[in-house]
Amino acid sequence: MTLSVFLQSLISGILIGGVYALIGIGLTIIFGVMRVINFAHGDIMMVGMYLTFYLFTLFHVDPFVSIVITIPLMFLFGAFLQKVFINRIIGTLPQNQILLTIGLGLIISNSAMLAFTSDYKILTTSYSSGSFKLGEISISQPLTASFIITVVITAILYWFLMKTDTGQAIRATAQDREAAQLMGINVSRMSMLAFGIGAAMAGTAGALISPTYYIFPQVGSAFTLKAFVITVLGGMGSIVGATLGGIIIGIVESVGAVAISSDWKDVLVFAIFLLVLLVKPSGLLGRSRM
Amino acid sequence: MNDISKKSAEGGFSTVGAVAALLVLAALYAFPSFVESPYALHMMILLFLSTIMGESWNIIGGYTGQYSVGHAAYFGAGAYGTLILLQKWEIAPWKGVWAGIAAALVLSLVIGSICFRLRGPYFVLASIAVAEIVRLTVLNTPSVTNGAEGILLSDLPPFKIGETVITDFVSKVPFYYIGLTLALLTILATWGVQNSKLGYFFQAIREDQDAAHSLGINLSLYKNIALALSAMMTSLAGAFYAIYIKFIDPTTVLPLDLSVQIVLIAIIGGIGTIFGPVIGSLVLVPLSEALRSNLIAQGLINSGLVKEDSGLGVFLKEHLAHAHVLIYGILVVVVILFMPDGVIGFVRKMSARKR
Repeated sequence: MTLSVFLQSLISGILIGGVYALIGIGLTIIFGVMRVINFAHGDIMMVGMYLTFYLFTLFHVDPFVSIVITIPLMFLFGAFLQKVFINRIIGTLPQNQILLTIGLGLIISNSAMLAFTSDYKILTTSYSSGSFKLGEISISQPLTASFIITVVITAILYWFLMKTDTGQAIRATAQDREAAQLMGINVSRMSMLAFGIGAAMAGTAGALISPTYYIFPQVGSAFTLKAFVITVLGGMGSIVGATLGGIIIGIVESVGAVAISSDWKDVLVFAIFLLVLLVKPSGLLGRSRM
Repeated sequence: MNDISKKSAEGGFSTVGAVAALLVLAALYAFPSFVESPYALHMMILLFLSTIMGESWNIIGGYTGQYSVGHAAYFGAGAYGTLILLQKWEIAPWKGVWAGIAAALVLSLVIGSICFRLRGPYFVLASIAVAEIVRLTVLNTPSVTNGAEGILLSDLPPFKIGETVITDFVSKVPFYYIGLTLALLTILATWGVQNSKLGYFFQAIREDQDAAHSLGINLSLYKNIALALSAMMTSLAGAFYAIYIKFIDPTTVLPLDLSVQIVLIAIIGGIGTIFGPVIGSLVLVPLSEALRSNLIAQGLINSGLVKEDSGLGVFLKEHLAHAHVLIYGILVVVVILFMPDGVIGFVRKMSARKR
């Protein structure tokens, strides 16, 4: 592997890692506030992909512009899921929570199959295969755009959680649900907000990758697994950790595909996942919760 | 009070129960003599297969409380072990299945030694990751497994004892009896586990790991025993599936969906009960088959609720069959929200309320 090939795959790894980070952040916020591992996360992302696809084909809204519509819609979708389903099982056996979200994921993906058929859809924009040249390295235009948007959204989210009252209330709920409740925080409202934000992040990630990915109803499960790897790697509940985890997984996939083979890159990702679970289950930046 | 009624329902045999069980058994063994429809036999075989899978998972998930969502790996080990030996070296499946079981056993010990250091949701995630690694490995080693193309069984040798041909596997009847026998064996094995010291250890681990540990139960030893038992039984189901369907590939015998379906069979019926997986199969198999074979769409049309030539009728007929997994999703959500102890737990609760 020459240096330029390495740099090339490193850069595209970082760019796609940004989107992975967004998926991971959504999962980690949901876990942080509710201690629920959301197995429907990838399927929620898939809804975002279809939303973007139809906004583009029917109303000619550019995928990167459409996130202004996708984010609020996906937020409402997430809040709805939380209010109607997830809210009822907070505090029950973690296994039951996992099964419920698995069930929701199956319902979402199979409903999508009923509605949109299982055909692969491709969203082709004028810039889908466009790229910048940087010496010998070429950088994909849509991935660069999505990376920049990811950075902006992550920054806004960080500011929201750190500086605003509502953000602090969400973090307080994540830290200690009971204590937060005693301090007068409406924890069930915070949970709804958190799930809404998580779904909005997943939906945004879906919107951002839709110009470069196939869109089909089962696309979600691969991303759900990826989202777990990312959040466990970074530390469940840590936003900075999820960002870092996303970038690392992006790089591992992209460099691994070149260095070993693209058939085995997912095996590599899962092997790292197991290794982290065994050696440092609290993740790179998380506190131990086991 | 509640404990006593539970005991008599599960543990001891009442005369009425024994007679009823014998009658059901006799009816099941006589079934193929009265029903010749291959479709009916096929449905029964699917029921048996689903029961074997559900009972197997029940041992690790229901009795020991370790929710493995990676059981497709063992199912696949049984299926691939048996068919590879049969295709490459012409080893008869009733011998090859032992290789499949051994593969599942080895796999379960490896998985157990890695995953049982983790608890709760982390164990679930690890079990998924390992099963995905197995699937991808099978997919990426075509020299052994034929990769994504899968293995098509062209010729199943007749089953002989000495020189006498017992069956040549032309009809579905021999598969019916194999399935029935295996299902009964797994039910018997579950009963044995539930009423043995081993089973008490499993259940103690499920109820409170730390308490069990402090009473001197070796947690990792007994979790591994439970997983090994469960894995070997699951691989048996995989081997049976392989010789019955005669085609396997990574997307049918190793996907995450299959792992989830195996869990659901037990959850829907009621985990940690002997007959939970049987009930779960009785609910799931007919429903998903009805969707798959378009019976439900046809039924809606026939009942006059939906007109056949209307847009909705055409749509349902074309697409509902592809979405048979939808029913799994809806059922699991309903079960978790409204009857977290499964159908059996729900019925028990209702009858307790009446009393």
